[in-house]
Amino acid sequence: MTAFESNQDLWVHLVNTVLPIYVVNTLFLFLGVLTLAGGLGISTAWIITYYSFFGKKVIEWALILPLACPAYIIAYVYTDFLEYAGPVQGLIRNIFGFNSAADYYFPEIRSVMGAIFVMGFVLYPYIYILARTGFNNSPRSLYETAALYGRNKFFAVGLPLCRPYIVAGLALVAMEVLSDFGTVEYFSVQTLTLGMFNVWIGMNSISAASQIAIVTFVFIIILLVLERKARSSQKYNDTSKRLNNISPKELSLKKALFAICFCLVPISVGFIVPIIILINNVFIGLKPDSFFAIFPVLLNTIFIGLTATLIIILLAFFSASSAYFSKNRALVIIYNSAATGYALPGTMLAIGVVIFFGFLDKFTGNIVFLGGTIYGVIFALTVRFYAVPYGGVISGYSRIPSNLFDASKSLGYSTISTSYKITLPLIRTSIIAAAILTFVDIVKELPMTLILRPFNFETLATYTYQFAHDELMIEASLPAFFIIITGLIPILLLQNQLNSFFHSKN
Amino acid sequence: MNFYPLSIITLLFLSFTTVIGAEVNIYSHRQPFLINPFLEKFTEETGIKTNVVYATKGLAQRLKAEGKNSPADIILTVDIGRLYIYDDLNLLASVNSDILDRNIPQNLKSPENKWFALSKRSRIIVTSKERVKEGQITKIEDLADEQWKGRVCSRPGSHVYNRALMASLILSLGEKAAEEWAKKFVGNLARRPQGNDRAQVKAIFEGQCDISIINNYYFGKLKYSDDPSQREWAKSVRLIFPNQSAEDRGAHVNISGGGVAKYSKNKKEAVALLEFLSKAASQKMYGEINFEYPVNPNVETTEELKSWGSFKSDSLPIISIALKAYEAQKIIDKVGW
Repeated sequence: MTAFESNQDLWVHLVNTVLPIYVVNTLFLFLGVLTLAGGLGISTAWIITYYSFFGKKVIEWALILPLACPAYIIAYVYTDFLEYAGPVQGLIRNIFGFNSAADYYFPEIRSVMGAIFVMGFVLYPYIYILARTGFNNSPRSLYETAALYGRNKFFAVGLPLCRPYIVAGLALVAMEVLSDFGTVEYFSVQTLTLGMFNVWIGMNSISAASQIAIVTFVFIIILLVLERKARSSQKYNDTSKRLNNISPKELSLKKALFAICFCLVPISVGFIVPIIILINNVFIGLKPDSFFAIFPVLLNTIFIGLTATLIIILLAFFSASSAYFSKNRALVIIYNSAATGYALPGTMLAIGVVIFFGFLDKFTGNIVFLGGTIYGVIFALTVRFYAVPYGGVISGYSRIPSNLFDASKSLGYSTISTSYKITLPLIRTSIIAAAILTFVDIVKELPMTLILRPFNFETLATYTYQFAHDELMIEASLPAFFIIITGLIPILLLQNQLNSFFHSKN
Repeated sequence: MNFYPLSIITLLFLSFTTVIGAEVNIYSHRQPFLINPFLEKFTEETGIKTNVVYATKGLAQRLKAEGKNSPADIILTVDIGRLYIYDDLNLLASVNSDILDRNIPQNLKSPENKWFALSKRSRIIVTSKERVKEGQITKIEDLADEQWKGRVCSRPGSHVYNRALMASLILSLGEKAAEEWAKKFVGNLARRPQGNDRAQVKAIFEGQCDISIINNYYFGKLKYSDDPSQREWAKSVRLIFPNQSAEDRGAHVNISGGGVAKYSKNKKEAVALLEFLSKAASQKMYGEINFEYPVNPNVETTEELKSWGSFKSDSLPIISIALKAYEAQKIIDKVGW
């Protein structure tokens, strides 16, 4: 609503000064993160699916762990670690006998490249998880055909077949990148999102800020539509279920070592190194009081996480099913656009929600007052994270052979009982994986909870933020550590489910 | 675990019904760990319970959207720009209080008594003790001097503190000269503007640059940090209160402050909290907890702050800084600070 005010003078100023920089930086960051996260996610997924080597069981699971790390926390951690005074450069100076920054080159962490590095390494698991499902579900017969014709298995079969999954993963990463504020603010990378806040807070113009938000929003929608157009020409239903088993190729010792080292890079950069630094900080600032203070905050976080995840998963399953069965284009468009809420910066979305609730509360004469309640927080989380399971569930559907539904229908079963009897079991593991992704995202979520929460209500993310905002890394490390641990709990608990998700044959 | 969601819901329902005992609901732009010591003392003295929501952005929009239904009674912020946004959106009530009138000088509150400064912080220059001689830099304008090319570090210009500084320069030098200054200042930067005020001191300690601008309290936070390396950073810099010569305007100051929400249902309690924060004991606490200066002219600055040097501050009405924010941001965008 606020986006319709005229801000001509302001826009002229922006176009003449900072807007080109915002756009270039955003594009650079966007392409960089997609390339890095895509490369890491797809390559590791391919290695894990098609090769077998010792330690694979641990590695295939450990590759998901960076997911639990919020990008902005990792940004804080790596800045200390890689800065001039940090241990890495200190070591370099010691080894080579350098005395000052002028003696050697070291890439600056607070830069676009730094932001690409941090976001790429924590966001790649989205693509890894989805690509693995895709690779797993590609029929073996096609690989054999490719082999017969001497074609490259990865480029001729794996990648094209897996495309809906990979795109679903890339779309999530893309939306995360466009909505990120914490990392780019910390690294002072002038992206459109950062610019949005400069205009809003600096020039006191929330309407011009909303207009910038709409620009990024349109950008992501255009991308999604283009992709969908490109994909709609290729339709493929897998009917050769029996030949679906992929038998991974055993690797020689040398190659196995290479595979392990390759996979260890993203695991170390995205998880092991930051967690060691955090634990180290926790011990430096160890106070028993801070542990007790965190306990209720932890419970709040788990409560919000579970409730919102449940609601989101139900909604995503319902909408993905109805979109699939009804084939109603309008419905599909509505659901798809609902999923783009993920591309808006959380703060902007939160303001939208605040305005919506304000209107609703006035309209209903305060029968239920939603503003500043836990329900408000959950509502906003639902709007934002609905995209996470939706993409996964939809791509799960796109791979179920339509002859199964037709058979069920022709046997006289209704759509609802078909969903219950056929679909649900088939995509059960996809749903569990999607639920884990959603829960982890909610645990990490900061800006919306911060603005919308009731009085005296802290989640781990908001609690961390009050310290991190002031760059008090020592104090922030304990709650930050708990954010990661909380995100890990479902990954650990549902390890078996996840495994069967990875190895599922639909 | 099972009882927990239930207890939350029960608590929520309880919070809808009238609560026994006086309360005051706070929307705060200041971190809980910084304001809690004040609030605990307030509750102890008055028996009024406090409830807090903290966020850095968006609370003004929330308050506006909630309208008459808003549960908020009082807003506490840092930076005049943020405080003024509430006034600009017409979200604050005029407060008539003899105590506030007595404790807070005219230039540090809104003309309609809608908001009040509660503490002052000065934007000061820090230089390397080793590499910049005492007396070489005495005012903000000096930082544009060509001799410092490649030796200045800065937080991004769009940060509220730098924007306010820029506004103060527009007010005292005029828009053209201020832009000229900003252009030369940016030309002197040793690295792309980045990091917060702590990071600037760190960069000087590391030798990446020799000169920067910080809010005075960051120096105190570093000097008394739990982290021994941060204490070293503090030792490496000299503090300069800028523009102190007899005919000059004095150092730019910013404020933290507060105001009572227009539709507050606990106005009496909200005013009581503002009054409490302006009282001598609380004013002293600002210095003790966060190395900030009192606004109350009858309260002495803490010994620690005195030891950094006394200074005269720019006597501009603080509101004029907020009114120039738009122009300041324009210059910042233009020069790429």
